[in-house]
Amino acid sequence: MDHVEPRERPPAFAHASEAELARILDFYEVRWAYEPDSFPIGWNLDGDVIESFSPDFYLPDLDMYVELTTLKQTLVRRKNRKLRRLRELYPDVRIKLFYARDFRMLLLKFGRLALVDELTGSTGQSTPPRLVAVPVIAELAPDAGGASPVLALREAVDGVEPDPASLTVELDPRVLPPVRARRRGRRRRHAAGRSVDSVASGSAADAPVSG
Amino acid sequence: MTRTVDLSTDIGEVLLTEAQIAEKVAELGRRISADYAGRRLTLVSVLKGSLPFMADLMRQISLPLRIDLMEVSSYGGATTESSGLVRIMKDLSASISDEDVLLVEDIIDTGLTLNYLIRYLRGKNPASLRICTLLDKPARRLVDIQVDYRGFEIPDQFVVGYGLDYGERYRNLRFVGVLRPEVYSGGD
Repeated sequence: MDHVEPRERPPAFAHASEAELARILDFYEVRWAYEPDSFPIGWNLDGDVIESFSPDFYLPDLDMYVELTTLKQTLVRRKNRKLRRLRELYPDVRIKLFYARDFRMLLLKFGRLALVDELTGSTGQSTPPRLVAVPVIAELAPDAGGASPVLALREAVDGVEPDPASLTVELDPRVLPPVRARRRGRRRRHAAGRSVDSVASGSAADAPVSG
Repeated sequence: MTRTVDLSTDIGEVLLTEAQIAEKVAELGRRISADYAGRRLTLVSVLKGSLPFMADLMRQISLPLRIDLMEVSSYGGATTESSGLVRIMKDLSASISDEDVLLVEDIIDTGLTLNYLIRYLRGKNPASLRICTLLDKPARRLVDIQVDYRGFEIPDQFVVGYGLDYGERYRNLRFVGVLRPEVYSGGD
């Protein structure tokens, strides 16, 4: 049987649960790449990407992405919405979402019960929401006069991109540019994860972990 | 403190009765007997969970078959930390080259172990390789695998009995049951 050469420098995982899943995949010799691709799923009126989704793992032999969700329920809903959007825009992309319960049961199956509370659930990686200012309309209409650029405060959480549905912005029609259907970046997939050279496994055990 | 296993009270629900299992195993045996007539069939079972299923299934197949057993280390087991890779604890005792191999599993959930075994067994050049499982839990599937013979599709619950264990216990139950969550969550 072919064996995959171990990677020299394991990635810096955003959460310990991701490192644990990487170890499981390594154990069963399933090759993976960590967050190799980013899929644009939201654009502003100017066609710039304002929201994207980067699945945690890509499994090249299975041509499948895996997203690990061990966040609290409110954040799961947000991620579900992004996943639905991803599936609408990229129907040919195969992606498997692992909820906290799925991952808990996976650890249970492998007798790693001691890790369950440590790696899953709301205490594992949730971070209090913080408000950040982000530009929503980057380009003002030529006749906008002295109108100020429109900024919005929206919720952002470490590791989770904001939900545009949470935006509360009062828009003045005079400052809006013409509506264009252009969606730059749609169906564009970064090539990083498609190269076998960039995909390896075998040493997640030593991976640095944050979160 | 170590929790005492109680076979009578630890099971929250009987998912499959002994009679239901027996009927399904007989049905699978008939199908396999028809499909493999005139061929060189070898049943390969994976220790330890598949033992009861293998023992019952082989007696429902009316063909001159061979059997063999394998055991592989599981993630989280004693050998995990030292090697970090799945290990064949017990290999096949005879060649399967040019044999029609039917891999007999107790349950398929993530498909990780089976995916590894399929690649391993294909490297031994069998004439054919098919999969037979008593239980299929597709909700937990990570690796898509073609299942040729499936007994029951079961919901996403932690089941024990008829070979399936939790902490090496409950394998000797004659039925398949759902383990009470408090058994594995540490509560009483």
